[in-house]
Amino acid sequence: MNRLVDFVSRGLDSAERDAVLGDLAESGESGARELAGVLGLVVRRQAELWKDWRPWVLLMLLILPLGLLLSVASQITARGSATYSWLYLNNWDWSLLQYREFWYELRDSLVVLSVRWVSLACWSWTAGFVLGSVSRRLLAANGVLICLTLLLCGLFAAPEYLAYVFPDPGPPDASDPVGALMFYGYVFPLIVRIILVAAPCIWAMRQGSGMGKLPPLVRAVILTTAIVALVAMVMRQPGIGWVLKTYRYPEFWQSWEIRALQNVVYWPAAYLIGGLIVRRWRSIHV
Amino acid sequence: MLGEFEYLLLTAAARLGEEAYGAAIRGEIETATKKACSIGALYTTLDRLETKGFVKTWMGDPTPQRGGRPKRLVRVTAKGAEAASAFYKAVTHVSRGVSWETSRAAVPS
Repeated sequence: MNRLVDFVSRGLDSAERDAVLGDLAESGESGARELAGVLGLVVRRQAELWKDWRPWVLLMLLILPLGLLLSVASQITARGSATYSWLYLNNWDWSLLQYREFWYELRDSLVVLSVRWVSLACWSWTAGFVLGSVSRRLLAANGVLICLTLLLCGLFAAPEYLAYVFPDPGPPDASDPVGALMFYGYVFPLIVRIILVAAPCIWAMRQGSGMGKLPPLVRAVILTTAIVALVAMVMRQPGIGWVLKTYRYPEFWQSWEIRALQNVVYWPAAYLIGGLIVRRWRSIHV
Repeated sequence: MLGEFEYLLLTAAARLGEEAYGAAIRGEIETATKKACSIGALYTTLDRLETKGFVKTWMGDPTPQRGGRPKRLVRVTAKGAEAASAFYKAVTHVSRGVSWETSRAAVPS
């Protein structure tokens, strides 16, 4: 319970958090009362912030569009991955291991899946990073709101509605029969949404909230990269790409500029590795 | 005009004097009202009073009884004392001639 109280209290400013936790330690309250007290204060503090107009602009211009786009990306990834999962998990046969062709096929499938999963996780991470860097005080509320958006888009099948808005979405989905299965139709997309979207997004929001400590130039470079990565996501996933009907022009995707743009999507890996190296260097030299 | 809870908080802080801080004020209010006082209500009201200029708060030194965490100390300002006094006068004035103990006993249930 103490850990939970400590976690919830992170929604408060550090000075207030210290005072509140100190008061609770001094009064020796039970864990449940302690949790209710801290949670109540966090909710009040967050509610106060929403009296201003800025959080509403953030909600309309960033949280809802990003939540919708990530939902679409997650649904497409889940559908695409469902076929492979069904193929290997539901139809597994140990005797297949003796065939060389199976290993080739497995390798190719793993490459395809890894690229899709890593791309989705990177998009989600980038979206979370941008959200976290925009407002540190709204971190908790924005985290809850983006998760709610993802959940609601999943429940009300936002990607399907989007298909009506932007018709002609390309080749028919080959994984439909698999998607008709209860697990692959409902549970699998939810797992993908939690592991590859919500978790990286929340993680990155915390990372993004620490941007203020960085020098202005580094901050500008990082934010520009993050925004470029989001533009790449918007182009790749239904959205601007659909509006411009870029799927009709395969040569568009072959140009080096667009291919370079697509690689920017993986910037979170460079950011995290860079951060690790800097921390390691500082621990040795400072 | 102060709210009821604001008045309770100001009065508790004034009574505690130098020892007025979150947990102590909360204890005073709970003893007086015989009701639980949520830490959320306490701290948001404290902020409101500070914004109005009725109290001044600052962080004290960390103490071992509080797990090494500092106290948020509170002092009632002259403006706060004036507001509390005005509230008290208003309550006393409006209560003149009314005895709740007697009235409650007199009203048939």
